[in-house]
Amino acid sequence: MSSPDFYQFLGIPRRLALDPKELETRLYSLSRKLHPDLFARKSAAEQSKALDDSALLNDAFRTLRDPVKRAEYVLKAEGFDIGEQSTKDVPPELLEEVFELNMALEELRMGDDDAREQLEISRTTFVNMRDEIDVETQSKFAEWDASGERSVLAEIRALLNRRKYIANLIDKANVPDRV
Amino acid sequence: MAYSDKVLDHYNNPRNVGSLDKKSSNVGTGMVGAPECGDVMKLQIQVNDESGIIEDAKFKTFGCGSAIASSSLATEWLKGKTVDEALRIKNTDIVNELALPPVKIHCSVLAEDAIKAAISDYRNKQGVAQAA
Repeated sequence: MSSPDFYQFLGIPRRLALDPKELETRLYSLSRKLHPDLFARKSAAEQSKALDDSALLNDAFRTLRDPVKRAEYVLKAEGFDIGEQSTKDVPPELLEEVFELNMALEELRMGDDDAREQLEISRTTFVNMRDEIDVETQSKFAEWDASGERSVLAEIRALLNRRKYIANLIDKANVPDRV
Repeated sequence: MAYSDKVLDHYNNPRNVGSLDKKSSNVGTGMVGAPECGDVMKLQIQVNDESGIIEDAKFKTFGCGSAIASSSLATEWLKGKTVDEALRIKNTDIVNELALPPVKIHCSVLAEDAIKAAISDYRNKQGVAQAA
């Protein structure tokens, strides 16, 4: 059995640019309707259905609240393969930065504390890149909501791939102060 | 999966690790990478202005043993060759020499790409029209 569509279940239009407040309002109103107290006198089947719906509500809320998860959810539903990472989504200019990051990490491992400065520079660069991607993604969300063009979804997928790659680099650059 | 002796040798005693002056007009730098596995390879050649022969080659690779061995071997092969000869180095030569298993062939491709990128950078600097 495939799980019902999150958007349908929440009763909101299928849009990528979602208003978090609207989402929260739907969560609260549906939670009230599914409250166990309301089902105390109902049949076991109805109680179990309400429990399932509560779990579904949580899933739907958690997925759609997060812009990345939301986009992945829609992409998947539209038949995009979101698992496989494609090399071509990573711009070549990034290589230089990745190289510098690896250099700094290696120097740090060798005990050179001066490398922390480079590491901080790398981290800032990657954080800025991620923020830029997020801004671009938001505008692509609005574009898809307006046009429903599949090519926009493909662009979003490429953006998400790049974001994932850069998020990994940020993790790498986040080295504790003393090891 | 075990590494071949030759891979281990290059991995444990990499040849020509380091860097050359990136800004020098007779130095070509190639930076390539396979983002999905996080490998980054920098390979540099220094070409003698008069003879056109690669007189020095350096590399620095962040990646698996096979990626390091492939680039280490590539720098060894590059030294003493002309730029045109260097362009004839194929990834399959590296695969054969290091006995790389199929899953590691991309490492040799990376090394070949790095050679080509370094040469192309060198030629750009020299103002020579780039071979298509």
